[in-house]
Amino acid sequence: MKAVVIGPGRIGCGVAGQLLRASGHDVVFVGRDPRLMDHLNRVGRYRVRLARGRAERELEVGPVRAVCCTERAQVARELADAGLVVTAVGAPNLPLIAPLIASGLTLRREPLNVLAFENSPDAGARLARLVGPRVAARHGFAGAVVHRAVPHRLGDPRGSEPLLFIGDDPETVVVDARPLVRPLPEIQGVVCTGDYGAWMRRKLYLYSAGHATAAYLGHVKGYHYIHTAVRDPEIRATVLAAMAEAQAGLARRYGREVAGDRRDLEDILDRFANPALDDPVERVGRDPRRKLAADERLVGAALAALQAGVRPVNLELAVAAALCFRAPQDLSASELERDIRSTGRGAAIRDVCGLEPTDGLGRAVMEMWDRLLAASAGCLLLRLDHPLWAWRPDERAKAYA
Amino acid sequence: MPEVVSLLEEWADVDLIYPEEELSALGDVRVEHDLYVLKSGAELALSLAGALDAVGAAILNPYPIAARCRDKIIATRILQRAGVPVPETFVTVHSNRLARLLDAGPLVVKPYRGSEGRGVHVVWEPDELDDISANHGPVFAQRYHEPQGRDRKIYCIGGQVFGVKRVWPVRTLEDKLGEPFTIMPELRDIALRCGRAFGLELYGLDVIFSDGRPYVVDISSFPGFKGVPDAALRLADYIYSAAHRMMEGNPAVRASTRVGQS
Repeated sequence: MKAVVIGPGRIGCGVAGQLLRASGHDVVFVGRDPRLMDHLNRVGRYRVRLARGRAERELEVGPVRAVCCTERAQVARELADAGLVVTAVGAPNLPLIAPLIASGLTLRREPLNVLAFENSPDAGARLARLVGPRVAARHGFAGAVVHRAVPHRLGDPRGSEPLLFIGDDPETVVVDARPLVRPLPEIQGVVCTGDYGAWMRRKLYLYSAGHATAAYLGHVKGYHYIHTAVRDPEIRATVLAAMAEAQAGLARRYGREVAGDRRDLEDILDRFANPALDDPVERVGRDPRRKLAADERLVGAALAALQAGVRPVNLELAVAAALCFRAPQDLSASELERDIRSTGRGAAIRDVCGLEPTDGLGRAVMEMWDRLLAASAGCLLLRLDHPLWAWRPDERAKAYA
Repeated sequence: MPEVVSLLEEWADVDLIYPEEELSALGDVRVEHDLYVLKSGAELALSLAGALDAVGAAILNPYPIAARCRDKIIATRILQRAGVPVPETFVTVHSNRLARLLDAGPLVVKPYRGSEGRGVHVVWEPDELDDISANHGPVFAQRYHEPQGRDRKIYCIGGQVFGVKRVWPVRTLEDKLGEPFTIMPELRDIALRCGRAFGLELYGLDVIFSDGRPYVVDISSFPGFKGVPDAALRLADYIYSAAHRMMEGNPAVRASTRVGQS
């Protein structure tokens, strides 16, 4: 079978391409960077390093081909005779690839499954809408939850050495079975579920919430890497407790099987502590505005915990820390900072988190935020439960120069 | 430091070098690691760091800067020039030449390459100068300012600035650990000024307050960071990130901290 993977990035190559090739399928990548497409065609392969701690294994993925998305006719032909399409472009970029997919699907008679490896609750349905109901009607657009983290791509596309993608070892990809229009071929790691929303939220409220908590508290305390931040006993305990709060919410909503148990949380925490991923706090924390939305990892998990009768104090702290996140390279963080300055903190909690700042969870977040306020002004907190501050190196330091 | 090393060993390949306990063939000194960390204050370690620097090694803190910090005469002039408040400072090889300065008040006399408070004397009367041996080279003297309250240790790790209050002289482990405190912008300004003056990212300052004014009385490259909460983890995190910067082809010390940068 030939699979077309749209988005030869970290997830596209480090997960989709690797699992498809490991299952014996042909892989054609579609991307927008001509240099990268040229590289994949010239070299015909890449490497994936899967690491946990100091233990690692390296896989060669190939042969693979690539087509630049500017070659629209060629892309359409590749899609026309593909057995499967996978997207891994990042949910916000789906509108950019929808016309491309539509042009390929119009050439087909056979129904086709399109799997959106986007870790988004509605990526499949959204992509179907973007492609257009007339074209999409005969095809299956399904979301997929990817468990592996692939934070790095090393190598120079201008060179002839294979690129190297570095990730951790989980290979499970949970696919929404309901929209599929034909059985999926055998693909290593891919499992289908009729309860996609539940598994999506499990990933979002446990792994993503824990990851975000580690990043935002790591930022408040001044650490550079996630694996360092979770070695801090306070952060480690808070991350674990935040995931436990979210797990209580999941258990009430979806049952124990989906929510998992304490060992699952410790396993996730071990993944965060994996130094091989070298995951910077700034990378994991970026785009705080999106991550603070009411249905997202932190606020969504906190609301679920409240529904289960659990006061989510650790998630409240994580939300407050996210509101203090400052990263000069991150447009979303800068915009959020500007909005907070111009409209005030209460309005930010209302607009960004969808919470009422004078009531319930919103008020609790506001109180936590009061404790962390100096973190927004160039300070870093030395103890999460005690107002002891140091100074961080940032742009404000120049004001004192 | 052992705790820092054990953390780094979990994340990277680490070799420990103890120059004072080994026989080193100078001809074998070559760059074999992405990053060298100069922790020891011993003369041989500093010289070998200089030898590694000469053959192109990346060192944290950079050798020329660590060497400048080690010499209080050079270090104090650098601080003065950067506008850092330091006590009035004098150097001589004849300690009796300090006598006339005592008319204006007592002096603190220190070994010019000393550390950890060793060999520090407060001199009030000219006859006390006779006890100060000049056999070990230059005599370094600073105007004594009566400290108010405990000494302030200011520690910097990669631009992050931490404060610890400590009694002097230190008698117990508790004294040594001191008490972390939230430092005010004025002290932060001074600390960053010192770092920029040298191009340092890992350093400590001894600050005293006298008549409400701060004075920096010592700067050290890569001190023990005692009393800084989670110091080992913070140091390991910083050293690891510096090694990453090196491996990505960037300087271990960031541009904003290097000498000559604003």
